[in-house]
Amino acid sequence: MLSVCLYLFLLLCLLNAVMTTPQEKQEQQQSSPQVMAPDGGWGWVVVGALFVASALVFGLIRSLGIFFVEFVQYFGESAQAVSWITSIGVAVQQLFSPIGTAACNVYGARPVVMIGGFLSGLGFILASQATTLSHLYLTMGLISGIGWALVFTPIIASVMQYFTTRRSLAMGLGFTGIGLASFAFSPLFQYLVEVYAWRGALLILGGLSFNMIACGALIRPIWNPKAVVKAKTSSNHNKCSRIHECFEISLLSHRGFLTYTLAITFFNAGYFIPYVHLVAHSRHIGFSEYQAAFVISVTGVADIVGRVVSGWASDLGKMRMLHMLTVWTGLLGIFLLLIPLGVTYSGLLVVSLAYGFCAGAMTPLAFAVVPEIVGMERMLGALGLLQFLESIGGLLGAPLSGWLKDYTGSYTVSFVAAGSFLVLGTLITSTLPHFWSCTSPSPPSPKSSQDASMEDGLLKQPLPSVPEKLCPLDDIPVLR
Amino acid sequence: MPRLARTQQSCWDAPLFSMANVIHIIFLLLYCDTIHSETTSLPELNPVITIRKDLSRGQSHVKVIEEPAVLSPQTIELLCNLSDIPNNPPSVTGYWTKDGQEIENSKETVNRNNDQYIFKKTIQAADVGNYSCVFRENDAQVTFVFDVPVMKDKRDKPIVSYTGDTVALKCTLKHIPKTWSWYKVNNTEKDLINVTASPLKYNIIIHKNVTKLSVLNLTEADAGVYICSAEFDIKPIESQVELRVLSFLEPLKPFLVIVVEVIVLVTLILVWEKCKTRQDHNTATTENDVYPEQTSKLTHSDSNGMETTTRQRKLEQ
Repeated sequence: MLSVCLYLFLLLCLLNAVMTTPQEKQEQQQSSPQVMAPDGGWGWVVVGALFVASALVFGLIRSLGIFFVEFVQYFGESAQAVSWITSIGVAVQQLFSPIGTAACNVYGARPVVMIGGFLSGLGFILASQATTLSHLYLTMGLISGIGWALVFTPIIASVMQYFTTRRSLAMGLGFTGIGLASFAFSPLFQYLVEVYAWRGALLILGGLSFNMIACGALIRPIWNPKAVVKAKTSSNHNKCSRIHECFEISLLSHRGFLTYTLAITFFNAGYFIPYVHLVAHSRHIGFSEYQAAFVISVTGVADIVGRVVSGWASDLGKMRMLHMLTVWTGLLGIFLLLIPLGVTYSGLLVVSLAYGFCAGAMTPLAFAVVPEIVGMERMLGALGLLQFLESIGGLLGAPLSGWLKDYTGSYTVSFVAAGSFLVLGTLITSTLPHFWSCTSPSPPSPKSSQDASMEDGLLKQPLPSVPEKLCPLDDIPVLR
Repeated sequence: MPRLARTQQSCWDAPLFSMANVIHIIFLLLYCDTIHSETTSLPELNPVITIRKDLSRGQSHVKVIEEPAVLSPQTIELLCNLSDIPNNPPSVTGYWTKDGQEIENSKETVNRNNDQYIFKKTIQAADVGNYSCVFRENDAQVTFVFDVPVMKDKRDKPIVSYTGDTVALKCTLKHIPKTWSWYKVNNTEKDLINVTASPLKYNIIIHKNVTKLSVLNLTEADAGVYICSAEFDIKPIESQVELRVLSFLEPLKPFLVIVVEVIVLVTLILVWEKCKTRQDHNTATTENDVYPEQTSKLTHSDSNGMETTTRQRKLEQ
């Protein structure tokens, strides 16, 4: 079934690619020779690859809950011990993002994604042979986590490379894979577990994860890896400086980047709390199981719609991307604060719908805005470091809200805390350099509508004469 | 026990209590919108459970499902109370049936008592079945259904496991039985599982109302239906679960199919790209190059000329 979806989606993207107008030609002619984003054509196929990859990474992670019941029964461990598997997997995926990014800088996106796909599958295949819970931590957590790190951020970076004017829409479409996969995988996993037990099911899922190798094969490199170019243009082959470049450590002294990272960390802390607690909250205030599940489904659908709509709307260019992101995150924070007020079923549904829409809306923009802040040639490293640093928010957010619930007895305070994190993050984004200007300050974008006003602090080096290939972006946890 | 007298019009109020000895209990079943009845507790030392059901006008058949109380040998008294019969005759006749068959010598004439006709029967708890009191006059009847409780959390889906692996089969019950035993069904025969006879194969853990059978080192022969039996004084409560043992080749088949599909896809993609590159290379030498410096720079690059492909594809489009 998944293969069918993959084929259909790829077919759609290929059709789109074949039918694109020669506007890219125009863009090429008016843009500077160093930065070239096709904005269509093969780019749509890469969007399809992102769709499948995000489905197989985060759609898979979201549906792993079905295995947990089996693990608890088989290993006799507590639910908390079993839930560490996902936590380790996601944490490893975020923490290893800079390494994935750096590898991209050296080798290019294609081999990195293919190796990542192989590792993710391998982790699950080895997990099917596990005899203790710690085996699962190592295989499903560590090995698959590293695989996911090598897949997700590179693919995002590739999509961003392929698109400039329609970047947000491409990202939004690509990320719909997560939402749709969450719907499709739950019954599929349930069926696999019933027919093959968890061992067989994990084996088959490992095979499914291998499809990410095919996704990686689809990424045709359009630029050279950055490190290769640098090695040619500069004579400095010092290992330290290579590491410095690959990991983009210079970004740590970049004020815009650090501000944005801080904001994203706060977003991350608050973003997941409703996903974790909404069902429990609904049951807590007295709704039935099916009603609570329906609320989550509605939120999921709104999430998918929000991603696409926000991507399309942002690409219209009416408002600056950063401002749109601020609008969505501000709204999200407000709706989170309003969730505890939804005491009737319809009230809760409406607020959850709005929450889902805003949550989906902010994700493509959260990524697409990064090149605006740090510039295109450092985007890859920026994404890697961003993922790495914002993992703190993810790691702190859910346990904090859980503790708040235990302490106060209801979920109201958790939602209020989540909402305030988001509002705080929104306020921090307003302190970004050149936030209040009406035009985007980053010059590498070939958008003719935007005034290319060079910002002194952002670009410290002149653009190279040959466009560089950007490494895959680590997955910003907000996308999960 | 204190005397309680209360009138209730509530749904399904069935207190559960435990076993055998010498507690006098009045067990009352209340129906939602029809009857209201009284609960009184009688003096102690009377080992009889009385179940009373009232039939009022307009009701012809009332079914009472009597659930989990029947676990130990006890005397149970069934009371049918018929009221509101037109013409108020001095007596009515009725009889009892068990499981649809009329019980011999059960026909009785019941005298009127304050506009009520009370029909009694005493049975032993060991004789489980469906008892009905039937009144000839208006064909009214009440059916009391007695049976041992059914085990909850029945697993209708088979448990799947693999050869060489260990599996744990679990049974739980609300009440605590005297003991538990496990059987394996072998061609419609139940074989008792003896742990001492084969300690390397089976392991049974019993903890009050939960029991677990662990089957170690599974083989294909271990597949089948297993029955867990909770022993009580009257009748054991049984539940069965099916175990399926698969060899590891079973999930391997779809796995290999998917791996082959992935390999085919990857090969197709890479080969298609190579073909296109070669094609574009041939056409590029004859075409007008818009960006001569870029293409020349790219042909010197490390990657396998794929940038040329992208650029020239765009030129063609």
